[in-house]
Amino acid sequence: MKSRMLALLTCLFMAMPVAQAVPPIQQAGLSNGLTVLLMEAHNVPMVSMNLGLPSGSVFDPKGKGGTAMLLAGMLTDHTAAHDHVSWADLLDQDAIQLGASASKDSLDISLTVLKEVLNPGLDALSEVLLQPGWRAKRFAIMKQDTLAAAQKEREEPGVRAAEAAAELLFGEHPYGHRSEGSMQSLAAIGLDDIKALFAGQVKPKGAVLAVSGDITMDELLPLLEARLAAWQGTPKQTLADIPQPKAVSGLSRDVDMPTTQTMVQLTRLGLARSDAAFFPAFVLNHMLGGGGFGSRLMEEVREKRGLAYGVYSYFSPLAVPGPFLISLQTRADQAVQGEAVVRSVLAEMANGAITRAELKASKENLIGSFAQRMDSNRERVGLISMIGMYGLPLDYLVSWTSRVDAVTLEQVAKQAERFLKPESWSRVRVGAKLQ
Amino acid sequence: MLFRLTSLLLLISCMPVFSAHAGTIQQAEFKNGVKLVVEEDHSAPVAMVQVWLKVGGRDELPGKTGLAHVFEHMMFKGSKQLGPGEYSRRISAMGGNDNAFTSTDYTAYFETVPSARVAEVLAMESERFANLKLRDEDFQKEIRVIMEERRMRTEDDPNSRMFEELSAASLRLHPYRNPVIGWMQDLQKLTIGDVKDFYKSHYVPGNAIVVVVGDVDFEQMKKAVAASFGRLKAQPVAPRFNPVEPEPFGPKRIKVVLPAQLPMLAVTIPVPVWQPGENDREVAALTLATHIMAGGRSARLSREIVDQQRLAFAAGAGYDPSAMGLDLWYAYGMLGPDQKPEAFEKALWALIDDMAVNPVGEKRLNAAKRNIIAANVFAQDSLYLRAKEIGQMEVVGLGAANRDNWLQQIDKVQPEDIQKAVARWLKQERSTTGLLQPEVKS
Repeated sequence: MKSRMLALLTCLFMAMPVAQAVPPIQQAGLSNGLTVLLMEAHNVPMVSMNLGLPSGSVFDPKGKGGTAMLLAGMLTDHTAAHDHVSWADLLDQDAIQLGASASKDSLDISLTVLKEVLNPGLDALSEVLLQPGWRAKRFAIMKQDTLAAAQKEREEPGVRAAEAAAELLFGEHPYGHRSEGSMQSLAAIGLDDIKALFAGQVKPKGAVLAVSGDITMDELLPLLEARLAAWQGTPKQTLADIPQPKAVSGLSRDVDMPTTQTMVQLTRLGLARSDAAFFPAFVLNHMLGGGGFGSRLMEEVREKRGLAYGVYSYFSPLAVPGPFLISLQTRADQAVQGEAVVRSVLAEMANGAITRAELKASKENLIGSFAQRMDSNRERVGLISMIGMYGLPLDYLVSWTSRVDAVTLEQVAKQAERFLKPESWSRVRVGAKLQ
Repeated sequence: MLFRLTSLLLLISCMPVFSAHAGTIQQAEFKNGVKLVVEEDHSAPVAMVQVWLKVGGRDELPGKTGLAHVFEHMMFKGSKQLGPGEYSRRISAMGGNDNAFTSTDYTAYFETVPSARVAEVLAMESERFANLKLRDEDFQKEIRVIMEERRMRTEDDPNSRMFEELSAASLRLHPYRNPVIGWMQDLQKLTIGDVKDFYKSHYVPGNAIVVVVGDVDFEQMKKAVAASFGRLKAQPVAPRFNPVEPEPFGPKRIKVVLPAQLPMLAVTIPVPVWQPGENDREVAALTLATHIMAGGRSARLSREIVDQQRLAFAAGAGYDPSAMGLDLWYAYGMLGPDQKPEAFEKALWALIDDMAVNPVGEKRLNAAKRNIIAANVFAQDSLYLRAKEIGQMEVVGLGAANRDNWLQQIDKVQPEDIQKAVARWLKQERSTTGLLQPEVKS
């Protein structure tokens, strides 16, 4: 056993992750301007797709946060041709998984089907786009249930923190509310708001249909063209119209909740998807708290001090800079210590205390685990959709590992100085008797 | 909602398809009791390695709940050859993400790695399995982390807390009455001595099943396991705690008063789990009945109780036929500000009773069957879910070889089977009802 272990050690040190072959993304366009991106995968007889539209919660009317989310709900609930009962029966009969949701930038309509029912699946998707139903009775029910759900959600510290963090960081900027909306903003939404958002933003030009599965572009295009040719138009606003948010720093907000733990979140603006320094910042975040075990925050907060079960960081690279966030939950009396540890990690890294060994470890993990990011059709559709929505190059996935590998210590240090200065972060706490 | 939230997902992922499986299962057993199950899939140069142990919350002694889960943490704290955190660092360096999960019935450790590195992973896995360093200082830190985990998942989550109480009230003997993470009172008293005792009796080769799905060769895997787990010394395997739960004598009811925004009402009922060849039709019928109530867009709970009767703003139900001994079937309703628990409860039982009395329509039954089959095909898309399906079927004693059998059983179910299964098992006098009641601030 001992000699085996030694042999093992040697080969581990020599090993370098090997870049894996990534199937190419094929691009095509429909006559109505819709972009179609496809990655073929023929190992399972299924097709997954996502229609990404510039109709996320950033386009919610002022004071009416949750409009895009309600639109997503309405679009998949029924159509002009089918009431909600016959629509549900129609979809379930062929096991058609049709869903929709809204995030900050995009409204996404997703479809996953067995290959054998691709045609009825595409029929359903086109019916959603071409014959939306706007039944007032269904809207009233959906609104009432969404309001109740919004009240129920107030039991979750994470929801309360996200709400406060969005307001603190973005203020009047359209990223300043959760996509789900709040009880107050949902109450203000009427059916006309939903219809107006649809009429303005749910258009083929600038939208992206990302597809992964057991199909070729030659098979797919005629099926789409036959169904979607009548869907026409250009959205009123695009992601390029989203204003740049103004940076804030050093703000603080406390939310009172009767919990045993205090949730501490530090937040500041991150970077846009198009930022030239995306890869160095991405690797930096992996080292800071994006990489789970082995990340600085996990090491200092959990492994060394046992202060929290989870501590992590992430940034949302959106059309314009989205939030950069660090979050932990710990017993109320340890919250001050937890925050202090996080701030000292930030200060050290901002001052350039990052080693080559750390960088190497992060890069190895990111590169080696790349294949896992593409483990299923639905995960691939998510990546392809993101590439389409933000206009990233089609070889983005092919070159991903080499771009991570090319990140240097100097680049990472520069991003650490740019993002991690402790004074540039604001704070949200959720818990009982905060002081 | 959070109560065994994954039950339906598990059902989807753990139960097989007729022909949708991408590969065939190959198995080998080693002299010391270790088992290897491989499904080759050469579509990408990666492999999912999962080590499943027949050890879970059910194997804990009274007063020592949470121990099985403590291991999930301690396994990353170092062994004879690997320093604390070293295991994770090694896996990370080869691009793997290592992780683990614990349930009442099993503990599993898993990592995805480039397929060329599987033998190394198995060598490391078996080394830590055999030579875990259980240091008190690591334990003291880790038990604090686990208490934070419990605070986060349960203490500060009213729904989750209600379901914990409800499970405990529902069962008298069966270990599903205890939370896997452990009662806080037990966590506060666990010692490194308890941890060492548990390790000695349960982390033995006869409890280990190695599952590999991906771009590997079965013959090479046999060699790799022979050189790693296969070398461990055989040790006696303790029988698992799987008591027969006494039949309920009548309905039970609890109320949990917590700082919550809105009430929730949930009902649990002990029901049988799948024993291939023994109760195929009944368990498949119960699976379909649950799907008809809670699955897909046409789910009866949503359609009738939420949409038509307006007695809840969300409702669901769940059943895991691959649990061990029994499953705690459940249904719940989330209640809005003007919705009354009593009215929801009445409507729930009216719906269940209707399913026992009136046959389900052919169209609805076929749609339910089709959705269960499709979900299985979709699950074949992920190496993680495929390995998990195999591991779970093995560890609870169903046997991965049985996976192709399940959907054949689903397909055979007739409307009268559903009526019979619902009438026999989903009875009010066998149920426990729990109400989460928001605390009124004075």
